[in-house]
Amino acid sequence: MTFHRRTDRDRRRRRPGARASWALCLVGILSAGCGSGADGGAAAPAGSEAASSPAIDAVLLPPEGQGLLPVAMPDYEQMAEPVAEQMRTYRTAVRVRLEAAATEPEALGDAYGRLGMLLLAATYVDAAEASLRNARTLLPDDVRWPYYLGRVHEANGDLEASAASYRRAVELRPDDLAARVLLANVLFTAGELDAAERMYSQAVERHPDAPAALVGLGRVALARREYADAVARFEQGLAAAPWANAVHYQLALAYRGLGDTERAEAHLQLQGDVEAVPPDPLRQELDELLESANAYNIRGGRALDAGNYRAAADLFRRGLDLDPHDPSLRQRLGVALFQLGDIAGATQQFERVVRTTPEHTEAQFSLAVVLADQGRHLEAIEHFSTVLEHDPAYIQARVQLAEALARAGRPEEAVSHYDRILALDPSRQEAVYSAAMAYVRMERYDAALDRLERGLDANPEDRMFQHALARILASAPDDRLRDGERAMALLEPLLAEAPDLSLGETTAMALAELGLYSQAAAVQRDILEAARRGGLAEAVERMTGNLALYEAGRPSRTPFTRAELP
Amino acid sequence: MNRMVNGAIRIVLIAAVFGGCAADPASRTSSGGNGPSEVTGGNSMDSVGSAWFVERAAALNLDFVHFNGASGHFYYPEILPPGVGLLDYDNDGDLDVFLVQGRMLGPDASVADALLPPTSASPPTGRLYRNDLEIGADGNRSWRFVDVTEQSGLTADGYGFGVAAGDIDNDGWVDLFVTSFESDRLFRNGGDGTFTAVSDGAGIEARGAFGVSAAFVDYDRDGWLDLYVGNNVDYDLDDRTECPNTAGARDYCPPETYGGLPDRLYRNLGNGTFDDVTPTALRHANTGGVSRATLGRFGPALGVATADFDGDGWLDVYVANDGTENLLWLNQRDGTLTDAALLSGAALSGLGTPEAGMGVDAGDFDDDGDEDLFMTHLTTEGNNLYVNNGSGMFQDESASSRLGPGSLPYTGWGSAWFDFDNDGRLDVMAVNGTVVAVDGRDDDPFPYGQRNRLFRNLGHGRFEDVTDRAGAVFELSEVSRGAAFGDIDNDGDVDVLVGNNSGPARLLVNTVGNRRHWLGLRLVGSSKDSPSGHGRDMLGARVAVIREDEPTRWRRARSDGSYASANDPRVLIGLGESTAAPNVEVRWPSGRTEAWDDVAIDRYTTLIEGQGRHLPEAAR
Repeated sequence: MTFHRRTDRDRRRRRPGARASWALCLVGILSAGCGSGADGGAAAPAGSEAASSPAIDAVLLPPEGQGLLPVAMPDYEQMAEPVAEQMRTYRTAVRVRLEAAATEPEALGDAYGRLGMLLLAATYVDAAEASLRNARTLLPDDVRWPYYLGRVHEANGDLEASAASYRRAVELRPDDLAARVLLANVLFTAGELDAAERMYSQAVERHPDAPAALVGLGRVALARREYADAVARFEQGLAAAPWANAVHYQLALAYRGLGDTERAEAHLQLQGDVEAVPPDPLRQELDELLESANAYNIRGGRALDAGNYRAAADLFRRGLDLDPHDPSLRQRLGVALFQLGDIAGATQQFERVVRTTPEHTEAQFSLAVVLADQGRHLEAIEHFSTVLEHDPAYIQARVQLAEALARAGRPEEAVSHYDRILALDPSRQEAVYSAAMAYVRMERYDAALDRLERGLDANPEDRMFQHALARILASAPDDRLRDGERAMALLEPLLAEAPDLSLGETTAMALAELGLYSQAAAVQRDILEAARRGGLAEAVERMTGNLALYEAGRPSRTPFTRAELP
Repeated sequence: MNRMVNGAIRIVLIAAVFGGCAADPASRTSSGGNGPSEVTGGNSMDSVGSAWFVERAAALNLDFVHFNGASGHFYYPEILPPGVGLLDYDNDGDLDVFLVQGRMLGPDASVADALLPPTSASPPTGRLYRNDLEIGADGNRSWRFVDVTEQSGLTADGYGFGVAAGDIDNDGWVDLFVTSFESDRLFRNGGDGTFTAVSDGAGIEARGAFGVSAAFVDYDRDGWLDLYVGNNVDYDLDDRTECPNTAGARDYCPPETYGGLPDRLYRNLGNGTFDDVTPTALRHANTGGVSRATLGRFGPALGVATADFDGDGWLDVYVANDGTENLLWLNQRDGTLTDAALLSGAALSGLGTPEAGMGVDAGDFDDDGDEDLFMTHLTTEGNNLYVNNGSGMFQDESASSRLGPGSLPYTGWGSAWFDFDNDGRLDVMAVNGTVVAVDGRDDDPFPYGQRNRLFRNLGHGRFEDVTDRAGAVFELSEVSRGAAFGDIDNDGDVDVLVGNNSGPARLLVNTVGNRRHWLGLRLVGSSKDSPSGHGRDMLGARVAVIREDEPTRWRRARSDGSYASANDPRVLIGLGESTAAPNVEVRWPSGRTEAWDDVAIDRYTTLIEGQGRHLPEAAR
């Protein structure tokens, strides 16, 4: 997702762990110690800060006759202190150069530019524009300033100005793939398909495997309803960037345009929201500029989303350096560590948050998940329950609580939670299935059957319900519940579509229920052999037991073993 | 400046050419009887200067100011309201107004803590304003609004978000559904100027809800209006989550901070009660036998619009979600609806990513006979135009239409297709206001205002931003949210009622539409068994306006769409310069199709189901 689309979202960025109900004052408790060296050599002279006053700080007024614009600085009181400190430092760097008797235009331009970048990173777009325009005036051949101005204008919705700025950036650095793609994107958004196509094509000429440019050409083709061409381009883009799962949606629409609904739906299964964006060092520099805990949280979140867990952990740690008490940063650090396989480290972070901020539901949830994963179901239940005390509508927590209860031998309680889930979100049909399995644990097959029938009514095409129902109809201990004919009727289409070992077991059960023991045994032998070849020891043991039954002319009366239950 | 001057010259020329609209003297008759009943309209007498729209709320005693109760705690509900409603609650032939109101949020909250205190000393509550429009025989108008809340019994004192209007008991009197934080309420119109709250006994979930937009729709063709409620997020006032921006300044949290709540579909049982059929009637697509990760998920709903999107004659439901996939519930004609938004191309942006869907409306802007979608979004996302191919498959034409680029700087909310200049083509308007504090407005206690925008349909799939020619009211920068569209002064053009968060309601009176010819229709059901003698508005009925040498124009009777607002259910079609009386065909929600010939122009005509010339149902 390009920067301009993220601007408002970044401003509105959710606080990870945002489902917590805790009292925490984030602004104003941050300790000092930000990256004052971040201005890269444009540090203010010592003592210059003491001369500032609010009135002086409010507007940076340039001398007349230079064609420079005043820069209205934002209110520091609204910012986190480390960011305010950065603002003061960068602003002072400009002011000092403005006041100096002889200042090289390059130095002043660079100072304005870096201030503009900081303002842009902090989303003070209007102030950023003025500062960056001054930088461009003073350093007209520096590619950074038209590039960042292009982003400013995009954020303001001024596509014409944005395109002009990006065009200048491309002139200054023709090989800059990011600038060229950004220009093409802006042209596309403005409805100038021909111009966008030319720009994407030029990008491909210079960078043949650039996924963003290939996808861009696909978008143009899709907009023109040239579906075959769109498919080709999107497929190329996806081949170059298989992680860009947002392309699947566009590819789906292109296949839809060709009338290939099957392929379209297949791609929709794979779609996500990771776009194909080109490497963009200038954007990265901007992203890494702000020294605030929230900025690190956002950067770390992006790394987390991209699967770059080591980088994410590092960013969260840096954020915690600025704000050691931020539970969101710590909880997300725990998530990154968990993904890196450092379970002990993750647990330590979650426990620390839970200790200091027990109402932090995300941390409670994360800790519960880790505990459940380790088979510590009772402890997991405690933490899931705490989550729900604070947030009764946290459905995922309730789902996992129910699973933990079922595994801990408390299936009745699990069922009550599944029912609550359905009351909160009737579309959560997997809760219907899980409740049925909980009843199976209780060996209440009549109730399980009832739930599965309801699930099948609501989801007639769902294999999960069809198969589970067939299993119970084939082998429930209760004579009144069994129906071998119906079990086979349910199984046949499933087998035709995608046979697997589990379906094979059920089929054998159904055949045995119908008295066809030799056929049941034959099927069982086949799947047993496959299980042996696959090294599935537990399945082999189970299947061997049932094979013995069929060979003895007896049916199975155990629909599911414990190991098979979720 | 040149554009404004040119606009003024053009309006003078139009006035010179037409010299005013239908010269018939005004009259008002009741509906019912053997033939169509009529309400005529004349020239608006309220034009001031050359502005296309003139703001008249205060001048007409519509003196409502919304109070959002913001106190610096950034409670999430504060950023969403208010919706607005147009409805003829007293059946006197003109549109009355209902406006939701806020209150203080949070424990021990006091009005003294409010950043923007209420303007009235009375406890804040939703208000009902009766439209006292009198049109004399000579065409002169006497027009004012009267606050009738107290005598109406409408006690909407919750934290209001939006309003939906529909006749739930087919008695000919329109009822009201008010969405509020934690307490949605259904009010039944008693037909005597009063309303009674009936949610508790009606089977409508009220407690703990977070409904924003809602729509009445007869999805199962049983003749009773059902109710779809778009629920937003699972929010608790105890939630202390803070959402600073990257600079650390605090602001409202985005909806993804909280969990979602499932929408609700309530089936009207015809006896004053509703059945929550959400679990059985709303089915998410199960593609290829594999459950997708997002299956079973609703989103933070903000906008709801009902229409027949796939052209099978049955009403469907489109839901604009904030930050997640939108939903397109296609009617399966068996009591169920299945979400097909992804494959339809109307779920996500052109980049395949979710956007912040706010307001939405369906309309046939390109006159090809199907319902297209217009949706408003966040700043930098741009509004979307999804063009229907007739079978419920959409193509994103936001960029080429110019509707997307022109809206990038704005966060749009209430919006609708309407023909503001009666040239026959559907134009579109979006009301705007951010959800992120605007830089540089440090002295503004609620710095979220933006200008509203008006886009004129140029034909051939292109639009032009004509905001700067539309009148001084479009220069206002307010925190606009809801917008209801309708002919409030019955003069033959569509006016707009705008709800502003922490600001005054605005009544944008159209001064130019009625300078061209128009056709006004009220599409109602049979009044045979109606206690009031009035049939109810047949929401969802489609009408084709057929004229020789002109494209057939399709319009739809609807009160839903926009954002959290209730629109005029009548259909107003611009006829341009044509004076020929058109033929019309009506496709009723029941599936029945009827025709009327030579329907009089420049006036409202009521068409009653069962009284037209029956046509065979179009094969599907």
